Amino acid sequence: MNWNFQLAIHPDADQLSVFVEGATTSREHEQMLAHLAECAECRKAVFLMQPNEETQPATRRPVNGWIWGRLLPVGLPVAALACGLVAVLVHIWPRDGALRNRHQNASLREPEVHLPQTTVAPTTDSEKDQRSLRPKNSFAPNAAATGLSRQENPVASDLNFPKSKSGQAPTNMAAPETTDARLSANAQVAKAARVKGGISDATRSEMPLNGRNFTNPGQLQTPSHTQGAAAQNDPAKEKTLPRLEIAQESGQAEALAGVSGRITDRSGATISGARISLRDAAGKTRQTTTSADGSFHLTELPAGRYELIATASGFKTSEQSIQLNPSQLAMLQPVLDIGTASEQVTVEAASAAAPVQTESANVGQVVGGQVVAEIPSVGRAVAVPSGLPVTATVSHGKRFLSLDSTGNLFLSRNGGKKWKKINPQWTGKPVRIELTPAYSSEAPPKPKNETLGNASEVAVFLLTTESGTVWTSKDGAHWRQQ
Amino acid sequence: MDTPSANIIPKEPSRAEDCTAPVAKGIAVETELGPESRLLAEMLGEELWRAAGAELVELSQAEFAGALEAIGVRDNFGLDPGKQANERQREMFWRALHLEELALARGCALGREPAWRRFLEQYREQLTRAAMEMTGSAALGEELAGALYSELFGLTEREGERWSPLLRYSGRGSLMGWLRAILAQRRVDHYRKIGRETALGEIEPAARVSEQLELKQLEDLREAIKITLNAAPAEERFLLSAYYLDQHTLHEMSRVLRIHEATVSRKLKRATDRLRKQLLRTLKARGLSRRAAEEALGTDPRDVDINLRKLLQKSEGDPNSSKEQQG
Repeated sequence: MNWNFQLAIHPDADQLSVFVEGATTSREHEQMLAHLAECAECRKAVFLMQPNEETQPATRRPVNGWIWGRLLPVGLPVAALACGLVAVLVHIWPRDGALRNRHQNASLREPEVHLPQTTVAPTTDSEKDQRSLRPKNSFAPNAAATGLSRQENPVASDLNFPKSKSGQAPTNMAAPETTDARLSANAQVAKAARVKGGISDATRSEMPLNGRNFTNPGQLQTPSHTQGAAAQNDPAKEKTLPRLEIAQESGQAEALAGVSGRITDRSGATISGARISLRDAAGKTRQTTTSADGSFHLTELPAGRYELIATASGFKTSEQSIQLNPSQLAMLQPVLDIGTASEQVTVEAASAAAPVQTESANVGQVVGGQVVAEIPSVGRAVAVPSGLPVTATVSHGKRFLSLDSTGNLFLSRNGGKKWKKINPQWTGKPVRIELTPAYSSEAPPKPKNETLGNASEVAVFLLTTESGTVWTSKDGAHWRQQ
Repeated sequence: MDTPSANIIPKEPSRAEDCTAPVAKGIAVETELGPESRLLAEMLGEELWRAAGAELVELSQAEFAGALEAIGVRDNFGLDPGKQANERQREMFWRALHLEELALARGCALGREPAWRRFLEQYREQLTRAAMEMTGSAALGEELAGALYSELFGLTEREGERWSPLLRYSGRGSLMGWLRAILAQRRVDHYRKIGRETALGEIEPAARVSEQLELKQLEDLREAIKITLNAAPAEERFLLSAYYLDQHTLHEMSRVLRIHEATVSRKLKRATDRLRKQLLRTLKARGLSRRAAEEALGTDPRDVDINLRKLLQKSEGDPNSSKEQQG
């Protein structure tokens, strides 16, 4: 547009509208901006021209066809919501059962605590409260999906799953693990409900969906006032009992529960050969031993309260109480503390293999007896900045040297509080670190100002690379080849 | 009270009319083009005429072709001045126009009854609503819209002929956008006529800056800001003016410039920083120490904002400024 702007000549309505609608060429745009920068009145007109955002939809040209005209404002958000819902459902649909279970475990597993809690669904009101207060680390859309499914599908609330004496949540919905057994249990309940005839075909088809939606126990909790009301005089509660009876009368055995888990020490290393005892209220005990990777499984357990006792040689015994509900597979991860001298620990001299897995576990270390003696109680929980598993740690005084799985060497001068990576002067991957024979006993560190005579005599640390070269160091930071 | 006289054509020339000269010239071209100098091929003309539905508003093919050619010549087919548009460029320019709305506007301007019926059907309600938005009042909005209707209908006469502003609609933007622009201009005119528009330079006197600086220093600052602003890109100057002088929000500016609010913010900050640095440099060059220059502008960023606003006002209100010179 050949506007031929002059500062004294204002743009006309056509030019202003073309500018406001963004139909100008770059040159026209520049010209208009230059004019607007100078001319307050045109600036005012330009800003006045802007349609009010609130009334903008009203000024829209009427849409042909009354249905679309009316449905568009409502339909678009609904369509977006539906797309989101579908995306969430697709995400949580069991493409791979194992994968999904892992997700659930990750979301439900407690951070490392001294007395680990079970990952089962909340069994008491207090536990439920704790869970509701806990920050949600699972994906949020799941919650939305759950909420929606509750709204749109009354099955979850309409089924009125049997409640235990403590008023806990329905177990087949609450269990975090969605195993085949659980799914079948779900199906059982659904079948029982069908026997009652209280569910339409449409809702029945969504039964598995409901079960999947409730993968996060935190989402299962109904509001406290709802629970209270239900507990007081909910007529549906009375309907619940006959349904349960129907389920049992129909010849289906009571769904059994199971316990699965893995035992680790404080550093996260799995403990193999640990003894797991599960004692029920009647004193009946089921026992098993952890496998090489520290895992254990006890299945076909009747529902009820159990005491789980984990015992491993050299570790404190761990005890915890768990409540198992029908069809529930509880995931546990007991963490055992190293026993101290003042405490009673189980020591089995005849143990054929080292109880702590040191080869394939995430965290492990190859230590000799002498070194172990020098490592203080935190010795097992050595964690180097690389975050990789530590393969060896030696210490002299407060100096710690750790070697991680990739061959990086780390030095701590303050007993493991702070670590510094040592730049390798050697070629090849270090495979072993140890103390020199002179310092392998509890000899005190030599004074710093001692004259260095023979390096090998005063050296404290020895490092062997995969090529067989040996390096020595007095302080762990400066190395020289032997 | 804002009680503009409805349906009364302003006697004094409005600012919109100030700028009619080049546009009216463009319209005049329409009649000057003879058949031998036709730019629009007959085939294309007919196609565009049909596409515009010009027949429905009783606009002949020749009338429509004349309008298209006049618009093309006026805007040089969207090319820079001095460049000659080839046939392809001309066709692209015409095809990019809002042909249907252009035909409607021309039909209305020529007083064709079907065109007016259609115009009222499509735009009356929108126009009234837009006027209400601008005035913030239903009564004032209806009054403004009514006045514009009478103007559009061609109640004004020029050289003894009925004349409608719709003749100036080029079809490059939407007709509703053009109507909004006309409304906004009339609104600003109205403010100016009744003297309600406070001069922007008088909104807030640059008292603080004056207090802090000696007269010579203030002159230095004005000069510095003028130099700096003149060197700044047009967009930066617009942003600074709209933000500091008119106190528009970032959101409002983002809508005008059709860029994201965050981009406006970033550009504004960059412009402010640049302006401040340049001012400091200029003041130092004029003998002020760095500390004195910083104090003059305000060490606190908020002070800088306030002072910039005042300096911009002073600069804008400066009788020596380019705007006033040419105005």
